[in-house]
Amino acid sequence: MSEPTGTEATAEADFLTVSGLHAGYGQAHVLQGLDFSVARGEVCAVLGPNGAGKTTTLRALCGMVRGRGSVTLNGTQLLGRSPEHAARLGVAHVPEGRGTFNDLTVEENLRIGAHLRGGLWRRSRVERAAVAADLERVYGHFPRLRRRSGQAAGSLSGGEQQMLAIGRALMLRPTLLLLDEPSLGLAPLVTRELFEIVRTVNEEERTTVVVVEQNAQLALDIAHRAHVLEAGRLVLSGPARQIREDGQVAEVYLGVSALARKAG
Amino acid sequence: MSVVTDLLQQVVEGLGSGAVYASLALALVLIHRFTGIVNFAQGELAMLSTYVAWQLVASGMPFWLALPVTLAVSFAGGMLVERLVIRPVQGAPELTVVIVTVGLFIFVNALAGLVWSFTVKDFPQPFPDGGLYLAGVRLDWSTLGMIAVVAVVMGLLYLLFQHTSIGLVMRAVAGNPASARLSGIRVGRVLMLGWGLAATVGAVSGVLVAPVLFLEPNMMGGVLVYAFAAATLGGFDSPVGAVVGGLFVGVAETLTGAYVDVIGADLKVGVPLVIILAVLLVRPQGLFGRAAVERA
Repeated sequence: MSEPTGTEATAEADFLTVSGLHAGYGQAHVLQGLDFSVARGEVCAVLGPNGAGKTTTLRALCGMVRGRGSVTLNGTQLLGRSPEHAARLGVAHVPEGRGTFNDLTVEENLRIGAHLRGGLWRRSRVERAAVAADLERVYGHFPRLRRRSGQAAGSLSGGEQQMLAIGRALMLRPTLLLLDEPSLGLAPLVTRELFEIVRTVNEEERTTVVVVEQNAQLALDIAHRAHVLEAGRLVLSGPARQIREDGQVAEVYLGVSALARKAG
Repeated sequence: MSVVTDLLQQVVEGLGSGAVYASLALALVLIHRFTGIVNFAQGELAMLSTYVAWQLVASGMPFWLALPVTLAVSFAGGMLVERLVIRPVQGAPELTVVIVTVGLFIFVNALAGLVWSFTVKDFPQPFPDGGLYLAGVRLDWSTLGMIAVVAVVMGLLYLLFQHTSIGLVMRAVAGNPASARLSGIRVGRVLMLGWGLAATVGAVSGVLVAPVLFLEPNMMGGVLVYAFAAATLGGFDSPVGAVVGGLFVGVAETLTGAYVDVIGADLKVGVPLVIILAVLLVRPQGLFGRAAVERA
């Protein structure tokens, strides 16, 4: 269902292109052939009920599960690569359940995110300065993390851990940021703050974002485009605003309650 | 000799053998932290390293040159073991991995017997004879040397883990390999490094204990039991715990051997087993370990 805007499909519009993507775990065939593309600098929301294949989609993009078909990022094939290789190509995945390093301090967590830049033993002065600048940038987005920089990540609240996970992903200087259920288990107020930050990061750094969410309303608020998944297939794609305002879509796929206010 | 000096004398000797248990326990803990595996072959790998050192010295190399060469060989050997033996079963059920390390134990033991025979070999004492007296307690240079070597190993590991980027990466991999991968870390290579490091630390224990026990393929069997007790006592995920546990087990062994007539020299091998049992009953995570908490 890739639909290039205008007459020619530019590299900008097809920054991330997914075509004929099949993926699953062992015998479980979850994704039944997905086609979509994400333009550079866009926030793309992937919505749908539990078990639709949202998480599997993200995992296939970052190499955590194997897939068939094609996924290209800026023309480079991502399928068949390991997660560590995908990270080297600029894909930063924030997994469901955050995946912070609980024994490490907040700052150490962030430094791990920058590990791809510079040597294993000692960094040059230029590299150290670049990492320090990135730390500042992340602390700028997440002032709460700065206050806790020396604290063990395991002692943070759920919201702060999610901020840390996103901050660590940003330290990679990603071209593609994948967020898996960032609102999971967080209080509504914290979730809103988090999504505002993701919006800011996207606007200021032009980072392309693919976000998978149960909370459709939140995701649609910051997304440019959205895709609705059901049983491993895309059943709907379009501009986020249009999907948000389409009352029928809301009822059928996203649950009325989540969108009642907007749709009404 | 008064009662007190006699007691102190026993404690000092206990610390000396405790240093050996500490370094092997440290190797066990490193592997466990990195891979979640309890490596039953750790002692045999140390024994093999000790034979390498013996061979080098026997062919005329001075001991203090043979030592770094041995450690380097051990490092490479540990990496090789991870890549060839452990990597294929990484992620397999726990019992499979245990059986593989037990198999490695038997293989290495037989290999050493095949190459160097099972006859006992004299291993050079790296430290000078004699010692010094402190408040009536005799401190052998060899005892002090062993403690110093383990202290240096601890210090180097601390520097590596806390003050280098590779150390930070290693801690990240030990804590959460999946997230490490997502940050672009090549986890396989880091695990190889971890095994190499553990084999090197283990080799230190073999080289330290060989002059005392004499070198033969079964030399490390008993030491491994003490090291297990040390690691269990200190906590299988705590390097500091391994060292404290090792020293404690060494002292406990010497004291019970000297003062509890029923036990004496023959039964003191039971001491580590009693310690293991007691720790598992009272505080399974060990003194410095953390209880495993399953996230609901």
